[in-house]
Amino acid sequence: MLQVVTQPQVPGKAANHNGPIAIRVEGLGKNFDKIQAVQDVSFEVEEGQIVSLLGPNGAGKTTTLSMLACLLRPDSGDAWIMDYSIKTEAAAVKQAIGVVPQEIALYSDLSAKENLQFWGKMYGLRGPKLTGRVEEILELVGLTERQKGPVAKFSGGMKRRLNIGVALLHRPQVLYMDEPTVGIDPQSRRNILDSVKKLNREGMTVLYTTHYMEEAQELSNRIIIMDQGKVIVQGTHQELVKIVGEQDRINLTVSQVVPKEIAERWHALEGVNRVSLNEDNSLTLLVSDSNLILPNLFEVATGLGARITSVDIQEPNLEAVFLHLTGRGLRDS
Amino acid sequence: MKILDIAFKDMLRSFRSGFAIIMMFGLPLLITGLFYLAFGGIINGDNDQLAPTKVQVVNLDQTQGVAAGNSLVTFLQSQELTKLIAVTVSPDEASARQAVDSQQAGVAVIIPANFSNTIMDSATGAATAVTLYQDPTLRLGPQIVRELIGHFLDHYNGSRIAGGVLAAQAGKYGVTLDNTASQVAGLEYSQWAQTQGAQPNQLLDLQAPASQSANDKPLTSLIGSVMAGMMLFFVFYTGADTAETIVKEEEEGTLARLFTTPTSRPLILAGKFVSVVITLLIQVVTLVVASALLFGINWGAPLPVGFMTVGTVVLAAGFGLLLISFVKTTRQSGPVIGGALAITGMLGGLMTTGFNNIPSFFATINLLTPQGWVLKGWTSTLGGGGVGDIIGPWLVSIVLGLALFGVATLIFRRRFA
Repeated sequence: MLQVVTQPQVPGKAANHNGPIAIRVEGLGKNFDKIQAVQDVSFEVEEGQIVSLLGPNGAGKTTTLSMLACLLRPDSGDAWIMDYSIKTEAAAVKQAIGVVPQEIALYSDLSAKENLQFWGKMYGLRGPKLTGRVEEILELVGLTERQKGPVAKFSGGMKRRLNIGVALLHRPQVLYMDEPTVGIDPQSRRNILDSVKKLNREGMTVLYTTHYMEEAQELSNRIIIMDQGKVIVQGTHQELVKIVGEQDRINLTVSQVVPKEIAERWHALEGVNRVSLNEDNSLTLLVSDSNLILPNLFEVATGLGARITSVDIQEPNLEAVFLHLTGRGLRDS
Repeated sequence: MKILDIAFKDMLRSFRSGFAIIMMFGLPLLITGLFYLAFGGIINGDNDQLAPTKVQVVNLDQTQGVAAGNSLVTFLQSQELTKLIAVTVSPDEASARQAVDSQQAGVAVIIPANFSNTIMDSATGAATAVTLYQDPTLRLGPQIVRELIGHFLDHYNGSRIAGGVLAAQAGKYGVTLDNTASQVAGLEYSQWAQTQGAQPNQLLDLQAPASQSANDKPLTSLIGSVMAGMMLFFVFYTGADTAETIVKEEEEGTLARLFTTPTSRPLILAGKFVSVVITLLIQVVTLVVASALLFGINWGAPLPVGFMTVGTVVLAAGFGLLLISFVKTTRQSGPVIGGALAITGMLGGLMTTGFNNIPSFFATINLLTPQGWVLKGWTSTLGGGGVGDIIGPWLVSIVLGLALFGVATLIFRRRFA
């Protein structure tokens, strides 16, 4: 299932799959003037999965999503949503997808109900079907009591919920969510993540972009990490963290000793693969098993008359994967 | 169907905006109303004239026989002048001045005791000293009274000359007329001349072209012109302002979201264009009807008015959409809309509709702007013109409007391709 595109680079090759494919992307590219915003992006999403596009700002996530939503026409490659080409069957693609944009895209001077009625009509809903669906969505996003109030007077969380509700009106087969939790409070964020899981349990395929590692880790069946317009790696969370190996990372701070001296002694211990001295005189060790090695580290330190003042053990995560593959942190990019 | 859904959504947003309502309906009616009040007060029907100026007259001229003071009072009280002045004879000078001081009257006319003698004394040529005591806050009423008295005195100047000529001619035949006799002759001549003056002059035939307009009254005509200018200025503003929703939705992200729905981009733009047209149609019809009811403006026969309504809507929509097609953000749209509409509006003559002394070349400059053409058409309907009179401006409005609309469509299609 794991596919690492950069090391070694295998562009255009998507993961193997077991179920029917909802989204198939092949060699997608987009340039803005001389800037290559998206380069040769390929991946597949099975029906009923949640797949996250993870990457720092400017990685090309939103541009990729815009092409898949038929907002931007790709300069190269193609993609198929429920077997409809984004290039030649845009109308069918648009009927199959629901899009939750990054920014709130609602008419603030209309009420919640008027917004839903209008957007429902844009998806071809009419009459009792429209009325019924609007009521269902109001219930789903918890705005039945506030349906007649102008959106301008809603809280940020209420607007976010309605923003998602609009995308669900026509019961899309595939839902695109473009960083839907940016700039909102933790409670609203939790509500949105729970809603995404609930929708997925009901069978909806979700393509979710984020630069929050924790969200991708919590939600996704599979994660596609992008950087500088390219897919650098994709796979399940477990598959991705294996890229950095079965190693724990231990950060230690010591006192009453020359750090370089203790570093040499620790590096000589069995199970310690790498010791690096940081600028703040703390030490980072890559070890095969932190539980086994920690007593030995303390023993050596005591023997040198040193005192360990802090210990931080980290299991491998997506941040480490990104760091490993790009040399930069996700949040530093 | 989706076209109308988009159009009605835009209109719902527009008509919920208090600012838009004020700009569409409030300001044009308010500005015209101010002109209406300034030039005529709240008046209806045939009463659309200036209120008569209240005049207190004190006649101290007690000359027996033919007295000039009596003649002046009679003249000021004549039936023909009742629409201009309301005369009250006051017993003494003090009470007349008091009436002006207390603003019970606008002007006091004080005829001196020796008025008849002075006015006809050709020997001395002394100035007649009728005193006008006026309310300093008034301009027009005292000016009218001054003109009327001047007119009266001109008669007496003629009479004095007539008396002098009579005395001279009589002298040639050896008849000597004393001063009193020549004064009486002059005064009688004056009364006779004024009687003759009341009759139509058989040697002068004054004619005016027959008018089909119901706006024959000067005030209604003025207000009709002002209203036409204001209506067109704000209709063109609304055209651009309503078209601005395209840029606004682009910024709000709702336009991009619309593009992700199974609704084609040309259809989305068409829906927005329809909203501009329907909004303008509602605005023009409302302003025409409201101004007719409020100010008694007769816009003309239904058919030419209908033609000009359509022409105005098409041209204002096309011009507004073209302006907005050049605008990238709503921050740009304010200066662009305001600047372009103010300049073309002024050059189109929308701000000078109530003035009669505009140089003739300005009418040519008017027609270099879209507003000038529709104004020409509306001016024609206000003057009672028929379809034949407005067909030229109407055709230009339609053709120009559609051309601007086409250019704007091309720009938008390229922008949102």
